[in-house]
Amino acid sequence: MAEDAKDLLGFYRTMVMVRQFETMAAEYFAAGEIPGFIHLSIGQEASSVGVCSCLRPDDYVATTHRGHGHMIAKGADLNKMTAELFGKKTGYCKGKGGSMHIADFSIGILGANGVVAGGLPITAGAGFSIKMRKTDQVAVCFFGDGASNRGPVHEVMNMASVWKLPILFVVENNQWASTTPQTASGSVRDLSIRAAGYNMPGVSVDGNDVLAVRQAAQKAVERARKGDGPTFIENKTYRIRGHFEGDPQKYRTEAEVDEWQKEKDPIDLFSRYLVKHKKSTKKGLEKIWADAAIELDKAVTFAKESPFPEPEEALEDLFVTDFKGGSPS
Amino acid sequence: MKERIISASAALAEALHEEMTRDERIFIIGEDLVSHEGIFGQFKGLPQKFPGRVIDAPISESAIAGVGLGSALTGMRPIVDMHFSDFVTCCMDELCNQAAKIRYMSGGQVTVPMVIWCPDGAGLRAAAQHSQSLEAWFVHTPGLKVVVPSEPADVKGLIKSALRDDDPVMFFQHKQLFARQGHVPEEPYLIPLGQAAVKREGKDVTLLCYGSSYYLCQEAARVLADLKIDAEIVDLRTLKPLDMETVAQSIRKTNRAVIVHEACLTGGYGAELAARIQEELFDYLDAPIKRVAARDVPIPFSPGLEDYCLPKVSDVVAAVQAVTYK
Amino acid sequence: MVTEITIPKLGLTMEEAKLVKWSFDTGQPVAVKQMVALIETDKVSFEIVAPVKGLVYPLVPAGTTVMVAQIIGYIAADAAELAILQKEHPVDAGVMVEQSKEKPEAKLDKTDTAGSNTGERIIASPLARRMAKEHGLDLAGIPGTGPGGRIVEADIQRALAAPPQTKSVPVREASAVMESDLALTVLEEIPIQGIRKIIFQNMHLSLNTQAQLTLQTEASAKRMQGLRHRMNKRLNPDETKISYNAIIIKAVALALRQHPRINSSVDKEMIKVWKQVHVGVAMDVGKGLIVPKIRNADTKPVMTIAKELDQLVDKAKQNALTLDELQGGTFTITNLGAWGVDHFTPIVNFPESAILGLGRIVEKPWVENSEVVVEPRIALSLTFDHRIIDGAPGAMFLKTLTSMIEEPLLML
Repeated sequence: MAEDAKDLLGFYRTMVMVRQFETMAAEYFAAGEIPGFIHLSIGQEASSVGVCSCLRPDDYVATTHRGHGHMIAKGADLNKMTAELFGKKTGYCKGKGGSMHIADFSIGILGANGVVAGGLPITAGAGFSIKMRKTDQVAVCFFGDGASNRGPVHEVMNMASVWKLPILFVVENNQWASTTPQTASGSVRDLSIRAAGYNMPGVSVDGNDVLAVRQAAQKAVERARKGDGPTFIENKTYRIRGHFEGDPQKYRTEAEVDEWQKEKDPIDLFSRYLVKHKKSTKKGLEKIWADAAIELDKAVTFAKESPFPEPEEALEDLFVTDFKGGSPS
Repeated sequence: MKERIISASAALAEALHEEMTRDERIFIIGEDLVSHEGIFGQFKGLPQKFPGRVIDAPISESAIAGVGLGSALTGMRPIVDMHFSDFVTCCMDELCNQAAKIRYMSGGQVTVPMVIWCPDGAGLRAAAQHSQSLEAWFVHTPGLKVVVPSEPADVKGLIKSALRDDDPVMFFQHKQLFARQGHVPEEPYLIPLGQAAVKREGKDVTLLCYGSSYYLCQEAARVLADLKIDAEIVDLRTLKPLDMETVAQSIRKTNRAVIVHEACLTGGYGAELAARIQEELFDYLDAPIKRVAARDVPIPFSPGLEDYCLPKVSDVVAAVQAVTYK
Repeated sequence: MVTEITIPKLGLTMEEAKLVKWSFDTGQPVAVKQMVALIETDKVSFEIVAPVKGLVYPLVPAGTTVMVAQIIGYIAADAAELAILQKEHPVDAGVMVEQSKEKPEAKLDKTDTAGSNTGERIIASPLARRMAKEHGLDLAGIPGTGPGGRIVEADIQRALAAPPQTKSVPVREASAVMESDLALTVLEEIPIQGIRKIIFQNMHLSLNTQAQLTLQTEASAKRMQGLRHRMNKRLNPDETKISYNAIIIKAVALALRQHPRINSSVDKEMIKVWKQVHVGVAMDVGKGLIVPKIRNADTKPVMTIAKELDQLVDKAKQNALTLDELQGGTFTITNLGAWGVDHFTPIVNFPESAILGLGRIVEKPWVENSEVVVEPRIALSLTFDHRIIDGAPGAMFLKTLTSMIEEPLLML
């Protein structure tokens, strides 16, 4: 299926937005304005955009601690995202979640997760609920190469296969699980091999080629919507930044990072593709960068000008019935 | 009202029939539910009456709990059957890191209307990994409600309320109490969460209990009556949110409290309750608060060993005698 | 049908009694012939039993004086009747709790939290403490029956069961025996309260707790008399005259320094030997027995002691003694000489451990160098707590003291 230029530039724009958002976050984190931890997905934009561009607003996505890209790709509001990272009251989670627990249930995002592979059981539930309600929604779960070795992944893969749940298992193999390389922790190199063990189709894809990712995702989405069950997609990519911002990264060489950044940057690759196939000009692409920067600035201003939540608000939103935390009954 | 005596498992089944008829979003997922209709017969008739809504899952507690949570987040109202409460350990992340916290972490964007139903308790010679009472872990997890009914009538009223509650509820039923009979009104009724019940009025001491220890306290009260000690029994029914007002009213009257639970002593729910009582009712206490609980060991297998570890009527009586100085 | 509970006439001349307590709270079930209330006349305690079974509805609070034939409550046949009773004869919530009619304690009382003489902590349950505070009871005087001597609710209830009355009541007739001229009649009724109550409790506590014995001896007062005479001659007219008491206080204080064990108190399992010597002097200035203290008597010259003693007596007469002046003593002297008493058996001023009784100074025949002489002598009676002071140490202290009295220069 050939996408037209408009669509392709749309994907490009989203990838650029993700890149700029992450860059902004790195800056403000270093400046001390973003508290806690952030985990940036710079270099993995093709995976987020490639998959999410195949989804409808009512499809579900469970994301990870490295989830800003998935959020933006699924259509999240930049103001609310930025405000949440800054810990402000106007953030998606009223400042209660932060980067690792950011969520927008109104567009099907079942939340980022502070537990790797924490999203898989939830996705199983979303898939199960789709079947019970007999809709043609799909549920996507993103997780990393480190998470792929955890128990719940295997329970959910088995269950999804047995019950033909409409799920996309998208492992973003960015080669590093914190300080541990995938080569040291995984029993297989191509994680998609595991799919066969659960009787579901599996495919390993160049995760930095947004169109290749789209192709695999599209196929999986169609299969799921038809009711034929889950698919396992491995997006092979690379984590350009450290595990967290501020990570001294003693476990890998600068040379390795440089190589991926120079040779295999997904946005660069796609830029070249777009120009080569005359979908846009260099200038046109630059404008996209500039426009994205302006939009992002607005979001940052919004976040900076927003108030912090009142301390007592910490006791709210625990239960639906009026029972605040801390002084029960 | 005519008395109608049925078992706790029949009461549960009855309540579930009513609720699943009323709300088609309710389903039950767990292990080995369909053919036995629940290992304690607690889902009798449900698989037939509601085909496709009682689901046997593979042995995958994380996935099962995840199914509960994920479907609760996307429009359903599931019951997750844990089979034995001991197996909650296999899905603690899903229950305590995810289900308990998602509403809060998202700033109130969603509700998590799921019931996690756990048969628990000892006395069946099922040994350490099939005999625990783990309610304290969940009382200690902000974001979860915890219900522990005792009598069949409580089971029916409370499970209905739990299913209508929009928050995650841990619902513990003692395995030995499934067969216990009691009067259960025929018509539908609700017992609200967070409401304790004074099941025996007395003036000399307040016995605070829940679940299986309610029956222990009833027996102890009979023995104590012969010793001319008049015990008041407060069945807590819900541990979180706790009905502290009923507890306080009783202790203001009797000036003495003995907390009885089958869970082991250290860090058990009794410790939390005792702390609250001495904080809020200090000047009403004529004696220290005593707790009667199981010994701090894994539950052993051999009958004599198990019985030694579990709280007995004589333990409750002795505790009451100590606080009444008799 | 509602049944009345009334006060029976227990004797020919009985007119009233005290309703001591109810055995049941409002609405509680009672069986026929089960005790429902306890009344007391000054002769006898009597259990009123339920004439029928039903639900008790007390009307009159415990602690009240009631008349013969007075309705003190009802027994309702069922909850419905009980509700009617509650409407027709409303009773304040909490009135059934026994109320003490005691006045708040006078300033001289020892409170349970203020530093007591021994610094002893009183162990009582929170409820007991609250009840004691609410009823103005002094925990120090209430024996505790709980573990470790803990004062518990039941102990407070017992203490409340016989509260004193607030004012003298005019003459009442006690129950007749047979004919009225054989009966005892009361001349006056004095409530045991205030200072009397403190003495009442303290005396009992002292003898109840300690193992007291009294050693008695005599000292020659000749040199003490001479000293006093010479010292007083040198005084200006406006200076306080030195009394025998002052000299003896000094002697006692110095003797205590040499025999510190006498200057001690028992605190649970511990004997606390005090560093300071604060000597109390028992006196009665017309309002009852009080014992103001000369603090650090061992460090003060006799003249200072005499002056202070004088001031204390004045203050006592004006009822102006401070708590400091009345508390914290480590030894007491008590002088009955003015009333012609020689030897006696004084009671230790609890929680001290010893007390010295002084008799009159009287001229007596005495033998000196095998010759009969006449000299002034004074009887000394030393009572002490044999739990912690044995006979010999007690006697040794008495000997030191006697020597100093007989030869005041030993005090230098």
